[in-house]
Amino acid sequence: MAHTVLICDDAIFMRTMVADILQQAGYEVVGEASTGKEAVEKYKQLRPDLVTMDIVMPDMGGIDAVREITEYDPRARVLMCSAMGQQALVVEAIQAGAKDFVVKPFQPSRVLEAVQRVLA
Amino acid sequence: MALDSARYAELFRSESQDQLATINRALLALEEEPGSAGAGADVFRAVHTIKGMSATMGYHAVAEYAHELETLLDRMRGSGDRMTPVVMDALFAAADALEAGVAAASESAERTPAMSEALENLGSAFGVGRPAASPAAAADGQPDPFDGPGVILRIRQSPGTTMPGVRAYLVARNLAAIGEVAAMSPPLELLQAAAAPQGFAVRLVTRASATEIEAAVRAAGDIEAVQVDMAGRARKRPATPLDTAVSEPVSAGPRQAKIDLARLDTMMNLIGELVLVRGRLLQLAAALGDDALDDTVQATARLVGDLQGEITASRMVPVGQVFDRFPRMVRDAARSLGKEVRFEVEGRDIELDRALLDEMAEPIVHLLRNAVDHGLEGPQERAVEGKPATGTLVLAASRDRSAVLVMVADDGRGIDRARVLERARAAGLVAPDTRELDDAELLRCIAHAGFSTKEAVTSLSGRGVGVDAVVNRVRALGGSVELRTVAGAGSTFTLRLPPTVAIIRALLARAGREHYVLPLTHVRETLAYDSRVVGQDGGRDVLTLRDEVLPLRDLRDVVHLDAPQVVGAEREIVVFERGGRRGGLVVDELVGQEDVVVKQFDPAHGALALFTGATILGDGVPALIMDLGSLL
Repeated sequence: MAHTVLICDDAIFMRTMVADILQQAGYEVVGEASTGKEAVEKYKQLRPDLVTMDIVMPDMGGIDAVREITEYDPRARVLMCSAMGQQALVVEAIQAGAKDFVVKPFQPSRVLEAVQRVLA
Repeated sequence: MALDSARYAELFRSESQDQLATINRALLALEEEPGSAGAGADVFRAVHTIKGMSATMGYHAVAEYAHELETLLDRMRGSGDRMTPVVMDALFAAADALEAGVAAASESAERTPAMSEALENLGSAFGVGRPAASPAAAADGQPDPFDGPGVILRIRQSPGTTMPGVRAYLVARNLAAIGEVAAMSPPLELLQAAAAPQGFAVRLVTRASATEIEAAVRAAGDIEAVQVDMAGRARKRPATPLDTAVSEPVSAGPRQAKIDLARLDTMMNLIGELVLVRGRLLQLAAALGDDALDDTVQATARLVGDLQGEITASRMVPVGQVFDRFPRMVRDAARSLGKEVRFEVEGRDIELDRALLDEMAEPIVHLLRNAVDHGLEGPQERAVEGKPATGTLVLAASRDRSAVLVMVADDGRGIDRARVLERARAAGLVAPDTRELDDAELLRCIAHAGFSTKEAVTSLSGRGVGVDAVVNRVRALGGSVELRTVAGAGSTFTLRLPPTVAIIRALLARAGREHYVLPLTHVRETLAYDSRVVGQDGGRDVLTLRDEVLPLRDLRDVVHLDAPQVVGAEREIVVFERGGRRGGLVVDELVGQEDVVVKQFDPAHGALALFTGATILGDGVPALIMDLGSLL
């Protein structure tokens, strides 16, 4: 059975892109969220195998969302999506419970490698 | 994973050379401006990088030396006011010892006396003690964090890793999940700040197996190599911290791969041969007159041409790669003679064939040394002459149409024409009644083997290579040398080089039944023989071209061809030029224009000096390549 994914990003463009990359590789995108708050709610509701999480989002940022999701489910697997130059924030997200990260602009191979590592 | 393969050894050497060039460049900058934090940081970073690479290779002697040097450099930071000439000399000597260490690096190499001495001198020059002999005991007395129980991991990140600092953090996190991370080198804080992929070492106290440990490291992503040393500190050698194996910034510039030069040479030779075969193929196809075959052959020929262009381009490197070695050499030479020299390098980005550039290094060194040694005056003499105390020496590369020019210019005393003339007369190099030497004749005289106007040869420029060797080397590579010198104002040597060796465009000229190759570099134009423009002037043959009277030679005479000229045959004239001077050459026939592969050859003793090489023509017949400039 295909792994299920929840994609969280405030930009439709980025959500579409991540969804395309993952769907082409056989993953099942079960939901999308455009704010941190929505991400937490959808996680509780959908219980996906994997969450891709943008760092900067309105109405609760990605890092706080990771923290809430991990508190709710310590085994949650979250992959951070970062822009260049956000090293410090990525480390903070990992400390909050994220498993791995990818850096924009996305290269499909790198995204899939990271996803495989997180789901391993 | 075996890191000590020949490929890594080669990479180690070439990257270390780059780093050593950086060190020398930065030290020179530091000498100019003792407080320069940027230059100090450059030296520190380069030493650090060499330390990391040599530790990765298992070259302990170099790694430990670099480590101690780094420790001393660290203590010297922010002490610009204490960068006395003595300290600078000690720093340069320390860089030399590092270079020697890199050149001789092997797993079994021991620390050399030169290394110990360099550290000793640097420490005492700067007024700090030498650091403890082993990096195991840190200078401030703290125990080496790698001295303890556990497993030693050596990890290297992949080239192209994005956010390597965060990946290193993930390694630490993953390892913390299966054990206790007792030490990391470089420390995690430094690793996290790294902008480029790193190599690093970890001491891990764990019960996990080697396989589990490796899996945990690799799960962090972008890991190129992991070595798990379960024996830990049981070995005698301290685990010198291992770091920057990959020193290039990740995103800068085009994607690059380092290629073995021998391989490029082989490709170049193969393409050279292929070009020869192409010439022959074109001839054969033309003789058969089959259209389909002709088209195919033409297409093949075009592709071979493109391929040749690409391969040639792949061998091109900026001259700065070699020029950057010279400031140090000039500085040392000037200092040893008590002269003050400002050395300027221009055109570092101009590209030359790598093989050609390597060949040119020695001649350029000789010209620079000559300039410092004989050309530039000492401060007192300059003061008397009303010149600034500091002499100027310029090494400049530039492009001129299809050629690359390398110029070595000084503002020194110039070459003493009278003295050269005197010696040239004595040696029978010029007619006894010669009154004056122009620049070209002057060069011809001083380039004569064994000719020297310095009775007492100094230690600097008396080492073997003379101007004759410079001129011969440049000519053998298909180039030429020009000289301009003005008494009291200085001398300029200009080396005109083809940007690449091996293949040249040339005219094929026939004299009798022989074919000769005339490189296009010097050819200005060709014209049909016409008795109206050819005449005599003062007993010499001349060519009148657009109101200009040029000396005219006959190829048959030049090559001492005795066979009589075929009566009534239409002959042709090649007008050539070098250094602003022109001349004409009458040939029986211009057969065509061809790319020829230059085969170096050692001319037999007594052979005509006007040939610079040989080649095999399209029909398989050998032909000599002529240096037209030598006819002027």
